[in-house]
Amino acid sequence: MKEFSCISCPRGCLLHVEEENGGFTVTGNSCPRGREFAISEMTAPKRTICSVVKTVFADAPVLPVRVSADIPKEMIFDVMGEINSVTLTERIGRGDIVIENVLGLGVDVISTSDLLKQNIYALTEG
Amino acid sequence: MRTESINRKLHKKFGDKVIAEKRDDCIYLSGSLDSWDDVVEAGMTAATKNSRCHVVNDIVFTGAEPEPMHMPGIRDEALEGESPDVLIIGGGISGCSVARELSRYKLDILLLEKEADLALGASGRNDGEVHPGVDLSRGSLKHKYIRRANHMYEGVCRELEVPFKRTGQYACFTNKAMLPFVWLYAMKRRYIDGIEDTRIEMGNKIREKEPGISPDVAFAISNPSSGCVSPYNLVIAYAENAVHNGARVSLNTAVTGMELDGGRIKAVHTNRGTLHPRMVINCAGVYADKIAEMAGDRFFTIHPRRGTNSILDKKTGARFASIASVTGIKSPGHTHTKGGGILHTAHDNLLVGPDAVETWERENTATSRESIERVFAKQRHTMPTLSEKDIITYFTGVRAPTYEEDFIIEPGRKTENIFHVAGIQSPGLTTAPAVAEDVARAVADTLGADKNGGFDPVRHAPPHLAAMSDAERAELIRKNPDYGVIVCRCEEVSRGEILDALRSPVCVPTLDGVKKRVRPGMGRCQGGFCSPLVTQIIAEYLGVPLTEVRKSSAESAIVFDSRKGGR
Amino acid sequence: MEEYDVIVIGGGPAGLAAAISAKENGAQVLIIEREERAGGMLKQCIHDGFGLQRFGERLAGPEYVERFIDRAAELGIDVMCSTFVTRAEKSDKGFAVTVVNRDGLKTLAAKSLVLATGCRERSAKQVFIHGTRPAGVFTAGTAQHYTNRLGVMPTKKCVILGSGDIGLIMARRLTLEGAEVLGVYEINPTPSGLTRNIHQCLTDYDIPLHLSHTVTRVFGKDRLEAVEVCAVDESLKPIPETAERIECDALIVSVGLIPENELAESMGVELDSHTKGPVCDGQLMTSVPGIFSCGNALHVNDLVDYVSASGEEAGKNAALYAVRERRSVDIHIGDEFMYLVPQRLDLNADNSRLSFYFRSSSVLGKSVLRLKVDGAEVWKRGYPFLRPPEMQQLVLDMTKFGITDASDVRFEIEVAE
Repeated sequence: MKEFSCISCPRGCLLHVEEENGGFTVTGNSCPRGREFAISEMTAPKRTICSVVKTVFADAPVLPVRVSADIPKEMIFDVMGEINSVTLTERIGRGDIVIENVLGLGVDVISTSDLLKQNIYALTEG
Repeated sequence: MRTESINRKLHKKFGDKVIAEKRDDCIYLSGSLDSWDDVVEAGMTAATKNSRCHVVNDIVFTGAEPEPMHMPGIRDEALEGESPDVLIIGGGISGCSVARELSRYKLDILLLEKEADLALGASGRNDGEVHPGVDLSRGSLKHKYIRRANHMYEGVCRELEVPFKRTGQYACFTNKAMLPFVWLYAMKRRYIDGIEDTRIEMGNKIREKEPGISPDVAFAISNPSSGCVSPYNLVIAYAENAVHNGARVSLNTAVTGMELDGGRIKAVHTNRGTLHPRMVINCAGVYADKIAEMAGDRFFTIHPRRGTNSILDKKTGARFASIASVTGIKSPGHTHTKGGGILHTAHDNLLVGPDAVETWERENTATSRESIERVFAKQRHTMPTLSEKDIITYFTGVRAPTYEEDFIIEPGRKTENIFHVAGIQSPGLTTAPAVAEDVARAVADTLGADKNGGFDPVRHAPPHLAAMSDAERAELIRKNPDYGVIVCRCEEVSRGEILDALRSPVCVPTLDGVKKRVRPGMGRCQGGFCSPLVTQIIAEYLGVPLTEVRKSSAESAIVFDSRKGGR
Repeated sequence: MEEYDVIVIGGGPAGLAAAISAKENGAQVLIIEREERAGGMLKQCIHDGFGLQRFGERLAGPEYVERFIDRAAELGIDVMCSTFVTRAEKSDKGFAVTVVNRDGLKTLAAKSLVLATGCRERSAKQVFIHGTRPAGVFTAGTAQHYTNRLGVMPTKKCVILGSGDIGLIMARRLTLEGAEVLGVYEINPTPSGLTRNIHQCLTDYDIPLHLSHTVTRVFGKDRLEAVEVCAVDESLKPIPETAERIECDALIVSVGLIPENELAESMGVELDSHTKGPVCDGQLMTSVPGIFSCGNALHVNDLVDYVSASGEEAGKNAALYAVRERRSVDIHIGDEFMYLVPQRLDLNADNSRLSFYFRSSSVLGKSVLRLKVDGAEVWKRGYPFLRPPEMQQLVLDMTKFGITDASDVRFEIEVAE
């Protein structure tokens, strides 16, 4: 039997998973998402990642991004490598794609902010 | 005291381990001890208070390995071959005030400071009290200068635009039965020692003005002439005014040795080149005896004494407007623990402290929990509502007393072209304006210098907008909109004020340098919100990446490069 | 003088929600924001997990808050950015708010105020970490600002003190960005952050969590070189014999948030010593009529969804505010509570759908929450467990319990096992 916390929502239920005959029995969950999470965690754990990408703009040196859907847990640092290699030269908006189909995972890296779009007063002299 | 009598006392305490010998009008102690408290005790045993016959304590302390002096990382030849008329060693209150007073004369003045900023030693790490001298008797240099200097503060702080408040001080007593004795003491101070503002006030009357004072306080010795100044701002202001009048300041510059010739200093070695000054002024604080030794003029010993102060949230400033401390309560276990109190600072915080702990470490300014607990336990007798929960920060300074516990302000005894301003501890901040005048006059006379006709005594501080009227503030923002961009929310410091600090005559473009000059990060969040913003402003001003901005010294990087953008 | 019905001080998630709801309730609204852009701390909270309750999506902080910024723009709400409130006072029109910005000083009038001033982090000094003063001591929020807004790294190898959510989130962020997080140290015997954050921020990245341990000292003259950690006893005092030195280049502290209420205090608003926020009635009006409080200035919330909800409540009530008598009844709480908000009822107001927020003072097993009026139980709810990091919310119709001016209204938690 395995025990871990559910990360689907802030409630953080303690899940118990029993593997038998190729199937899983999940207890401790308070909703169906908990069961889903438990099974995915036992078979092919997935996570989301959030980071920032470098830009060429002085008023916003980095832009926040995330993956558009969960990625396999073991691919986290590979995807981070891709994110780190980007330098944005266009003022893209929230939801716009930064890296399409990253590493062929069928998931995009997308911008999570309109930071570069907004006409903001930056702390520059003059 | 005769040598035999000193040796008799030393023998009683330390057996054969320590011996005293008198030569050159000094008392030399030799031997070895494994407890630092014993080393200090031996020095104190041999010393006569306020005497000019000093103890040179050569007892080897075997209890710990002494840390070498903290050296600046920089090595260059920036000062190589320079021959200033006056070389001042030390950028504390003594060095900077002397530099400013000397700049009244036509002299080439160079001040060296080994740290990345001025006032990083005891001068910037004390409580900022402008003392009345109520604990001083005639006969000491401390006493000679205290009243004259105390009276100078309004004038000096007006000229130099430094925050100063005359708050008054209460030395409080809880035992009413002591009143007759304390009254006699106070009257002696007033009429015999000339501390003319000394008087007795009764508890109820004090509590009318200061309701926070403990109901247990029966009466106090009151000295309305006490005040509070911002100590590091005063040091910086003195240096800026000196620079304005032609003096130069070289930071990150440590003296590493000297060459002597025929009773004169011929060369001074530093990490930035060798200099050939006509005159050296020793204002080196805890290292003053080491500098004297390099100059072949060692006749005293500094024994470092640590003190820790806590700063409370500005909200507490409203509770208490002056300086007070209950006296006569013994702090158990610490024989050298003295004084301390509660002060309303020049910036309207409350300050609690300091304590006093003897230490062999001249530069260890690390704080400890015990120091703060001890001081608070004591000061709760003064003000029962005092709470450690209101502390926003704390700091430790290391004082530089001699065993005689008086100042040394005199020309070299064996070496001709040195002047010592040493053993400067409390009330050295208070006495500095007067001491500096006398030292400058003596040195200028020796060098036969003329008056500097163009001397301008006024130093302009960066404007402090939060303290201004709406109209004044609006007018300044109209001229410079950066004064309207608030960067530090706790202390209400604007971008314009930060840029002013960066453009000041002694530019120290670091987080700490800016913080000391115009206060971003001094408030209750301790820079949590503003330090990234200040880091950015410094980087923009210097035209460097954020990774090149420092907290203080060249080695104190704040952030590193990320792996972004293929780096 | 420019006049508004409602001035909202603070343009973070609480302030934005307040302004939107005030506007939707017919008020002329102004938001005053001290930073150059609205959004508050969510600008730097780039991790996901926001908005699960409100939008049914796991959004990153900027995504969540920008939805509110967009809505505020749609409604034509005035936002003054890079503008700092230097003082606020009562006036015959209601309130006079004096602001400073690049245009100078200006006093604005409002009939009511919403204080959405958020919170600040406790600093390393405030938890009595001693030693030297090197570079490399950061609060988690400061480290987050450098990492997420400026794109630079505050550390290569660090120790984190405090298992608050920002500390846990930063442990993961820094690891993702290539730094080494040697461990998270928590003085309490239980974590301060959400359980799921322990799992997805620490367990996922093999970062050890050391409970009942604290950092006691930092070393290093220039840049931080090491920290000293100690186990603590039951009274949370460090045990000196357990001291251990850990080489690292930074200490990141996540040791609690303090609601920012200096402006509220300057106007005589009564504060609750438990929440450090204003004492409010069910309409989130403070002890000063016409001043409302919301978000993390009111009390530190665990989820931004609740911050927005309290903003909406405060904004709506500020818009509908008219001078009237209040009939106040205090709501008492038992020792098992860390706090409960609101702390008061105004019997002259509409209390048919009141939101309550509370936290327990310690980790409790199966528990029953009871509402008692004059000693008699009028309502109850069971909980499988109550943990201080996880805030609880409930909505009650307070009109049906026969509460009068003289009633003793009391919430109690009874632990079943």
